[in-house]
Amino acid sequence: MISRRSLAVGRLSGRLLLSDPAPMIVTVAMPLILAPFLVPAARAQLQLAGYATAGGGDQVIPGLAVLFAFLSTQLVGTLFFREHAWGTWDRLRASPASTADIVLGKVAPLYVAQLLQLAVLLTTGWLLFGFRPDGSVAALVMVGAVFVAMVVAYAVMLVALCPTMDLALVLGNLGGMVMAGLGGALAPVSSLPRWAQAVAHLSPAYWALDAMRSITLDHAGLAGVAGSLGVLLLFAAGFAAVAAWRFRPSTVKIGTT
Amino acid sequence: MLRVAGVTKLYGEHPVLRGVDLGVATGEILGLVGANGAGKTTLISIITGLRHCDRGNVTIGGIDALAHPRRVAGSIGLAPQELGIYPTLTVRENLYDFARLAGIAGRPARARIGEVAELLGLTEQLGLRADQLSGGQKRRLHTALAILHRPRLLLLDEPTVGADVASRAGILEIVRAMAAAGTAVLYTTHYLTELEQLDAEIAVLDAGVITVRGACREVVECWARASVTLRFAGQAPELEGWTAVGCQLTPTQAVTDPGAATAAALVALGARAGKLVGVDVTRPSLEAAYLAITGRRFSEEADRDLAA
Repeated sequence: MISRRSLAVGRLSGRLLLSDPAPMIVTVAMPLILAPFLVPAARAQLQLAGYATAGGGDQVIPGLAVLFAFLSTQLVGTLFFREHAWGTWDRLRASPASTADIVLGKVAPLYVAQLLQLAVLLTTGWLLFGFRPDGSVAALVMVGAVFVAMVVAYAVMLVALCPTMDLALVLGNLGGMVMAGLGGALAPVSSLPRWAQAVAHLSPAYWALDAMRSITLDHAGLAGVAGSLGVLLLFAAGFAAVAAWRFRPSTVKIGTT
Repeated sequence: MLRVAGVTKLYGEHPVLRGVDLGVATGEILGLVGANGAGKTTLISIITGLRHCDRGNVTIGGIDALAHPRRVAGSIGLAPQELGIYPTLTVRENLYDFARLAGIAGRPARARIGEVAELLGLTEQLGLRADQLSGGQKRRLHTALAILHRPRLLLLDEPTVGADVASRAGILEIVRAMAAAGTAVLYTTHYLTELEQLDAEIAVLDAGVITVRGACREVVECWARASVTLRFAGQAPELEGWTAVGCQLTPTQAVTDPGAATAAALVALGARAGKLVGVDVTRPSLEAAYLAITGRRFSEEADRDLAA
């Protein structure tokens, strides 16, 4: 149940995101700029992997979408750490909003922003770069929704664990690159070194990309991606559990304005 | 409206508050004064639920604020010591979003924003981003966020730090108006003249306890001493009831009316007053009272140390 206070915090957080849209614009624009350079090589890789009619967009677009979703965890800086730098965190805590209202109100706009970013990337990829989600659209929507929930949970976990915004950004970017790389965002897992293939399953990105690839290359429906969705949900629950365990609203965080 | 009883707070093993008792009635302004580190901000943080205390009770409007912080939060207006505004939002957006957090939205929120902006001289700045405001305007916006929802208890932690003369006057005027309308105000400051201007009750927080509590005038009368110093060109003359040290002459005993004492001294000096080059008169003030209160405690401690 979303409370009136959560909605008020959500509206405030949404306004804050929009008042400084540069990070969101960059994380949408960057993959679209990179995509045309990567599509030809990806097409060759997919054809070597046995997908004779696959276009490079089927590899590149989901891969970049996953990679930049992880890199978008920097938005948590705007939504949590800057509150400390601006001196507004204690004001929020002293308001009638509970800690749960505040966290929910901060996470909801982040979730929507990430979902929009994913939608823009996939749609543009479909229109311009030969991304063909020929399987179930409902399955693709579900994968996107669960994947973004996992990324947001990961971001909130970083907020809970990191004392400074800089550390959260570094860990968010490094962790995101590692998870996305291992998961096959930059190249199909089958083309990765043997050691990377062995640990790829430990990355949530692997399961998101596995589901997306099933939808695009194998025309899968909801049933076909249920396993990957389940694993993604487990990752999301794990990150959220750590976040809930370690989050201390009274802890002073160091953010930058 | 606010009752604090026996509040104790330890940071590690160091006690910051040692059984603080305090009350602020409806419509009352209580000036809480004390040195840096005396525990003023910690006490406000405990009252607002931002920090836990180790012992003690806090009630706001009869509700246990420590057990039910969310129930009392709507009654509290807090302007923390540190500036707390959203620089990337406009003044209007800052006010509107905090109004919504306090449960005011739509037309009532817009009407109240207009009132508060006018009270604090921010009407023309409503459309400006907060980071475009001057320091004084930011401080006024910071205060506006605390009074927007007409709180029954207003907690202002050094609200005029960094404010220009006009902003400071505006903030004091708001505090007076809020108290007149029935708001209980707890006001911490190092600018003691502000408390004199507000004719506030005074509570001195010293080494974690309230050492003196009373009306501003009573505290000044009880604790502050006037002083007079007559300065001469060369050695100061001898005068009964006055002590000459070098070129200065000061009353041997405390004076209550420095003007009358000066006049009497000049008459008694007669022609010897010809070498007088200056007169320094210090009227009794809250600052003098505060220094006397905190100074006495230091000297008591020193005496105890010597006795030990």
